[in-house]
Amino acid sequence: MTTFIQTLIVGLRLGSMYALVALGYTMVYGIIRLLNFAHGDFIMVGGYAIIFSVPAVKAMGLPIWVAVFPAIIVCALVGMGTELVAYRPVRKNGTAMSALITAIAMSLFLENLAQAIPAIGPNPKVATQIFPSSGIKIGKVTLDSSTILTIIIGLAVMLGLYFFIQKTKIGRAMRCVSEDKEAATLMGINVNRTILITFGIGSGLAAVASLMYISAYPKVFTTLGVMLGLKAFVAAVLGGIGIIPGAMLGGIVIGLVESFTMSYISSSLSDAFVFLILIVVLLIKPAGLLGKNVGEKV
Amino acid sequence: MKKKVLSVLLAGIMAFAMAACGSSGSGSSASSDSSGSDSSSSSSGDTIVIGSITPNTGGFATAGLACVNGMDLAVEEINAAGGINGKQVEMKHMDDQMDSTECLNAFNSLVADGVSCIVGSLASSNTSAITDAANEEETVLITPASTADSITTEDDYVFRACYADSFQGAIAAAYAKQQGYTDVGVVYCAADTYSKGLYDSFKTACEKYGINIAAEESVATMDVQDYTNQFTSMVNAGVEFVYAPFYYDSVGPYVIPQARAAGYTGIIMGEDGYDGTQGYVAEGTDLSVYNNVLWTNHFDPSGTEGKVPAFTKAYQDKFGEDPISYAALGYDCIYMLKQAMEKAGSEEASAVRDALADTSEVYDCVTGKFSLDETGTPVKGAVIIEFYADGDKISTKLKDTVDELPDS
Amino acid sequence: MTLKKMNQKGFVVNTIVLACLFFLLALLSNTGAGKGNFFRLVLTPSLWQCGYLIILATSLNMVLGFMGQLSLCHCAFMAIGAYTAALMSLAFQRAGVFKSPKGAVFILIMFLSILCGGLLAAAFGFIVGIPALRLKGDYLAIITLGFGMIIVNVINNLPFCGQNGLAEGSAGSSLYKNGLGFGMKTKVTYLWVAILLTILAVVMMFKYVRSKFGRAIQAIRDDEIAAAASGINTAHYKVLTFAYSAFFAGIAGGLYACANGSISTSSFAFTNGGILNSTFVVVMVVLGGMGSLTGSIVAAVLMFFVNYEIKNGAWVAMLPSGIQGIFKYPMLVYAFVLIVVILFRPKGIFGDYEFSLVHVREDLAKHRALKAQEKAEMKGV
Repeated sequence: MTTFIQTLIVGLRLGSMYALVALGYTMVYGIIRLLNFAHGDFIMVGGYAIIFSVPAVKAMGLPIWVAVFPAIIVCALVGMGTELVAYRPVRKNGTAMSALITAIAMSLFLENLAQAIPAIGPNPKVATQIFPSSGIKIGKVTLDSSTILTIIIGLAVMLGLYFFIQKTKIGRAMRCVSEDKEAATLMGINVNRTILITFGIGSGLAAVASLMYISAYPKVFTTLGVMLGLKAFVAAVLGGIGIIPGAMLGGIVIGLVESFTMSYISSSLSDAFVFLILIVVLLIKPAGLLGKNVGEKV
Repeated sequence: MKKKVLSVLLAGIMAFAMAACGSSGSGSSASSDSSGSDSSSSSSGDTIVIGSITPNTGGFATAGLACVNGMDLAVEEINAAGGINGKQVEMKHMDDQMDSTECLNAFNSLVADGVSCIVGSLASSNTSAITDAANEEETVLITPASTADSITTEDDYVFRACYADSFQGAIAAAYAKQQGYTDVGVVYCAADTYSKGLYDSFKTACEKYGINIAAEESVATMDVQDYTNQFTSMVNAGVEFVYAPFYYDSVGPYVIPQARAAGYTGIIMGEDGYDGTQGYVAEGTDLSVYNNVLWTNHFDPSGTEGKVPAFTKAYQDKFGEDPISYAALGYDCIYMLKQAMEKAGSEEASAVRDALADTSEVYDCVTGKFSLDETGTPVKGAVIIEFYADGDKISTKLKDTVDELPDS
Repeated sequence: MTLKKMNQKGFVVNTIVLACLFFLLALLSNTGAGKGNFFRLVLTPSLWQCGYLIILATSLNMVLGFMGQLSLCHCAFMAIGAYTAALMSLAFQRAGVFKSPKGAVFILIMFLSILCGGLLAAAFGFIVGIPALRLKGDYLAIITLGFGMIIVNVINNLPFCGQNGLAEGSAGSSLYKNGLGFGMKTKVTYLWVAILLTILAVVMMFKYVRSKFGRAIQAIRDDEIAAAASGINTAHYKVLTFAYSAFFAGIAGGLYACANGSISTSSFAFTNGGILNSTFVVVMVVLGGMGSLTGSIVAAVLMFFVNYEIKNGAWVAMLPSGIQGIFKYPMLVYAFVLIVVILFRPKGIFGDYEFSLVHVREDLAKHRALKAQEKAEMKGV
């Protein structure tokens, strides 16, 4: 029983992380139908931004988690910069394929650029502990506070995003752009500005995700976003990409699958099982767990 | 269009300016290779060119760069003291990016430039890609840290400065036996050659010493960030001694704190890859979790015997950080080559090889005083080092010195 | 000139060029002895690497350029080919069928191992293709990426694929023993194998894309629904092409096994920082031009050359330190190149133009005429 509960907790810890990252993924995908490979790397950027702003935050006598605010700004800027420099020109005259390849290139670029910056370098950095290591005891095992907080933040972000997209003016514009760019332009929506804002918000969320990530796993390195981003993407697809509650569900499911595979099937094949789940789901229900199958327009 | 050009130009300039700053910041490590390239022969004139192949970019760059630093330090000292056989030494550093093809390319281009002695590479998977080539091309190859048993064989051009896996894993088993543990556990990574090799030798030694491996768990890759489930199953198996061959950058922030959080309180035994863990501890962690962690190493950096204090001090002065074992091993490789070249009185590969193959020659190095066995592997002892929480930092202390493995 | 005559002429021209090439190499390979020899140490290994990179890039181009589907698991197919060839030849070696890499028996086993590597990769391509190709675009990219991860993850956990291999092996990421794994001199001796296989593979892919299969997949690329409406069984063609392409990725893996004494899954992993990376291959295809096999060949050779020179070229040391600093991070340069190519010349170097010795003159004339016409039109406006 202890093993079961412990496995469950590890699954939730991983899953809540994937969910938080997947929210950013799914938001961007939902609006512009671009698989932003670089989203995982925005998390890496956020991680370093937090590490570098912690000393300043400490000097001001504020709690450490305040470091997330400069990180949000940095991430949003990087995200919007990426959109302006790479994605927008390609979207203008390229195909979906070239946009996808640009995203992959952007991801490679950010990872390697980080290595080349002297203050970062190839060595991993270890962050300060952000939340005190306390938690709720369940039998012999502990559900630590950062996991609970990650899930709460994930839910809050999910609800916030949902209402933002449903109720606000910009949110409506986003939905409009995602449905039909030309029609949106005709309605007087500035499509480019809307997409830029989408990127800003999505990347800002990445900074929140990095805060929660390093509070549970306090090591930051340049390729941090690769696996994390991939699994989060798997989570987003699993839940139905573009659907905000789907990302949350998918993330938790992926985390649980990974953890239970580790404990009960094979500890070294957990990655294979995560992708296997993705494949199986895509075959049975290509639109994801919460998605609706939509026919293709001719 | 104009905007597009401008934006790309700006991004490019920004990126490359940053990269360029990076190069000038870490220029010290690359400075010696820029001058060495124009001399096409290794021993012509008054310089000896020694090649090196290490992973200087990518995920293993910490180790590679430390090794390069160690070699540069040794060369600087040797040149200041008059060089080898009266000739100055130059290093030619190559990067293999932890990839075996790149490693072979680097080797080939060094040999094509006439280099006859090469230090490299670190990971066994890369070094094994060039061992055959070294024999075929009659080039002396000393690897600082490739511990796989199959790397060196009798009568070849390949030597090493570290001990082999079969020794290091066995030390851990011998220690468990000595301390009276009958049931032990292992957490390792099957997808990593190093971790896997140590697991194999630990397991073999356990069978030899009659120790029962009660639980064994693996992780998918070395990048995994959660080890809780693995240690939970150790706790369930009731073991008090777990062998966990991982690297410092996951041991410090992940393995040890998570193992303790999962309720495991016994001994965590590691290998030389634990060197450097102190620098990878999250500030604010309860340091007492690092108690009861032991690891085998090539040398004790805080030691006071032999060449250790002088090396540690020189390294700290030059690079401003504590040397990790890869630095010490790189440093030793150069001094081994120096001694062999001086003994042979020549820099010819075959003469240096013969000198190195002499099993009676004793090398007095940072990582111990040793001679090489028939395969070219040092016969040296290992030290077992223990971490302990020392106020607000983690310190190391020497726990035990093992010179020879017990028979049973 | 009729089509048949043109084909005959092309055949003659190509044969003559190839014969000259072989003659030149045979001449050169006699000089391959001696210490620090350039041909043996630099040129031959480079040709081997170019060989498998060319096959890999062209095979991906069939899927990416001609069929319009992004596959991110070609390096995993290559890994399958490499491991199969290495283990099969090792089995023969352990069984005592051959001792040293010499003689007719060895050559037979070598070809057999490489072929089996290709066939197994094709089988996996088939298995992966059936489910994966029901999806497209982003989904296909991610699902192939997932398959790539699974394949690498599984190879890591197969006991006969690690350490010393077969019965002496244990699960691990590296295979130290390899029945092929040529040394320097053997690589010179068998250079013809690398070149022959590369040419054969490229010719077979050319034949494929020029056949009715090729026309069908190009129709699918341009408009899948229209293709289906005109009676093309899209699923059938997609899976077939995917498996065919995986076969050649497997052959490339076989050549890789010949060129490397030890094989490691990390070389084929998605996150690998080296040249053999599924994304790097995409760079080659995009750079050369999606839909141009000759473009992929040129891009593969070019990328290899640049990659090699950046790391090993003596001229790098003479550059100002700022540029040297950039060259320390070659992947940064490639990512930048990829972005620039996509932004400014999304067609790549060649677009969908196929270079041909027979037509080069006419093509140039046509190109000039086109440019002149464009200019005239511009003026007219």
